[in-house]
Amino acid sequence: MPLGDFTPLLARPARAGRADGTGTAPPGRRRTGGLSAERLSPFVLIAPAVLVIVLFRLWPLLLGVNFSFTGDGERNGAAVGLDNYTELFADPLFLGALRNVGWLVLLLPIAVAIPGMLATFIYLHVPGHRFYRSVYFFPAVLSPVIVGSIFNLLLSFDGPVNSLLGLAGLGPVDWLGDSNVAMFTVVGVHVWATFGMSLVVFLSGFATLDPALLDAARSDGATLPQVIRHVIIPGLSRTIQFVFVTTMIGMLTSMFGLIYVMTSGGPGGSTYLPEYYIWIQQGQMNRPAFASAASTVLFLVMLVVGLAQVSFLRRTGKED
Amino acid sequence: MKQRVLWPAAVAAMLALAGCGSATGNEPSSNSASGKLVVWDWKSSDKTATAYVEKAKADFAKKHPGVTVEFVAQPFDQYYTLLGAAIQAGKGPDVMMFNGGGQIRDRVDALVPLDQYVSPDKQRLTGWDAFTKDGKAFASPVTLQGHPIYFNKDLYKKAGLDPQKPATTWSGFTADCAAITKATKATCFALGNKEGAGIQFFLSAFGTGTLSPQEYDDWIAGKRDWNSPHVKQIFQLWKDVEANGLNNKGGNSTTMFTDAFGIFQSGKATNIIGLMSDIGHWKDFNEFLGPENVGVMKSPVIAEGAVPSLPFDGGIGYGVAKWTKDPALAADLVRSLTSTDALSTFYANAGAVVSDTTVKAAEPAVTALVADLKTGKPALHVALSSKTIELMGRLSQQILDGSVTVDAALKQLGESDRS
Repeated sequence: MPLGDFTPLLARPARAGRADGTGTAPPGRRRTGGLSAERLSPFVLIAPAVLVIVLFRLWPLLLGVNFSFTGDGERNGAAVGLDNYTELFADPLFLGALRNVGWLVLLLPIAVAIPGMLATFIYLHVPGHRFYRSVYFFPAVLSPVIVGSIFNLLLSFDGPVNSLLGLAGLGPVDWLGDSNVAMFTVVGVHVWATFGMSLVVFLSGFATLDPALLDAARSDGATLPQVIRHVIIPGLSRTIQFVFVTTMIGMLTSMFGLIYVMTSGGPGGSTYLPEYYIWIQQGQMNRPAFASAASTVLFLVMLVVGLAQVSFLRRTGKED
Repeated sequence: MKQRVLWPAAVAAMLALAGCGSATGNEPSSNSASGKLVVWDWKSSDKTATAYVEKAKADFAKKHPGVTVEFVAQPFDQYYTLLGAAIQAGKGPDVMMFNGGGQIRDRVDALVPLDQYVSPDKQRLTGWDAFTKDGKAFASPVTLQGHPIYFNKDLYKKAGLDPQKPATTWSGFTADCAAITKATKATCFALGNKEGAGIQFFLSAFGTGTLSPQEYDDWIAGKRDWNSPHVKQIFQLWKDVEANGLNNKGGNSTTMFTDAFGIFQSGKATNIIGLMSDIGHWKDFNEFLGPENVGVMKSPVIAEGAVPSLPFDGGIGYGVAKWTKDPALAADLVRSLTSTDALSTFYANAGAVVSDTTVKAAEPAVTALVADLKTGKPALHVALSSKTIELMGRLSQQILDGSVTVDAALKQLGESDRS
């Protein structure tokens, strides 16, 4: 067959005819007059899941949003319009918490690059790669409370980390007591505690990488940085996108335990995140409606991130 | 065809019904009508409080033999969160424990004023102020909580100083500290400000040595001038003590509960502003330092005209929820929980300085504390709202690390206190 007659599979029209010549046009609908069993049964089957989602997710969510427009204390239950939101966005502490979310976004590339690099080395079979693979995953199974407590001991002012710095002739750092350093410390610990999961995702991504490309690059004389830049990163673009989004969501929703144990939002509110702020307002300040307003704002932030995730995944799905 | 629809429908119905079960779990609702009272606290699970609770229960059973009492001990760090949820739902325990000050004053909407039920206890118990708002008492005090300055007599001796005569002026006090640091390397203070609690203790302990009696009484009465020179002096002192190296290093990352107390107990610091009850108090320190080495002092005189005293308030107390069916019955349980017999047991087992003025103390440190109760005044920080306390904690950390000036902090605190 001459090559010119060849039509690549992907270039065919989407609804190509079947090989026997019969078309695949949808069969004409049978009009039964009422709701047929076939049309009803899918709805019946998804009803339990929908009911659970509506009853236990959406309805409480709407109640929470509605609650955020009411008052606390003396104005308990009274409609206060947007008062809670006005106060929220006038509170430097909450704005600081949102600013910290911004920091998290900026630190995100590092949180993705670390497991990415380590997974690359494991994939390239550095000596002891099997040992490293299990060791790197280990922190992912620890509770944030345990991780926080361990690092509290390590990073305390007279703890082992500062002792080591002292031996190296460097001054001690107040890792958790300096407002310029504490946020980076907590994020660093969070990355340490969670990168194992991202590492596994990267390794599974590597399983889909064509080894022939690596061999070809090597035989062309590519250096390691060139291999990473021109072969590995393009080959793992979907995995990288996925890890980006999941890490982001993890940072926004699962740092409470670490913050609570390591810094209590301090020093001077420098490690506040919205979820910690919500907890303080509800639990310590006895302002549940105000906390609901903060929760609604956090929900909207998460919604934006979630939609970004969906669009990422949809785009990667289309690449096939 | 019908069958194909009916099966999924049946399964769906079962699942939907399964999801419609009760979500209330084992949440206690008010039970007083059915002869049951539920108490929430964070103490009754402590070994040191077991005998106290038993005594109180026995006292109540004598008066109301048909009523059962159930104690539900909640974890302290989540206590007010759980209580907030109960208050929001309008159902929960009949009797609940509170810390004195902002924690109870912020929640009086959910409580029954107790004055008419507990009037016979008004003279015998002390520390009512911390549980009072607008002239009404919303809880009966169980313990007294204050902020004495504890010092290590052994370190005084090592530096050649007389521990029986601690300094009464700020300059004398810091001179003693310098001598002790030179001789033993111990810092002047053990500071734990990770929770932002260090400043509360500092303000209350050294406020008595800085504010004039009139300024002090005005502060407690709600007339607080955050811009006054003496208030500024206290916060400036907070900054200077850190700047002059009188605190242990890393105070902002040291927890008061319990790392700072550990520093004092291990002899690495000469003084600590501690508590009278619960934790970080004489009984804890006695175990590590020996009763003969635990000294207690009032604030040295920092500003001319100040009359140092022991800052103390009601520590913890029991209040009655608005939703209880029989407030008189619940108030009777509160009276049993503050009976002399029960409180004597609490003092003996937990080392708490109890609110009952008829309970006699034995240990040297407590004897000194109890003697100071007569002239003591409510603590300055207890008069503040939770919101201002929380802000003060954050600002105190920023003053220490230099990211906020004393003036800017006082401006913010004044605004918060007025709102």
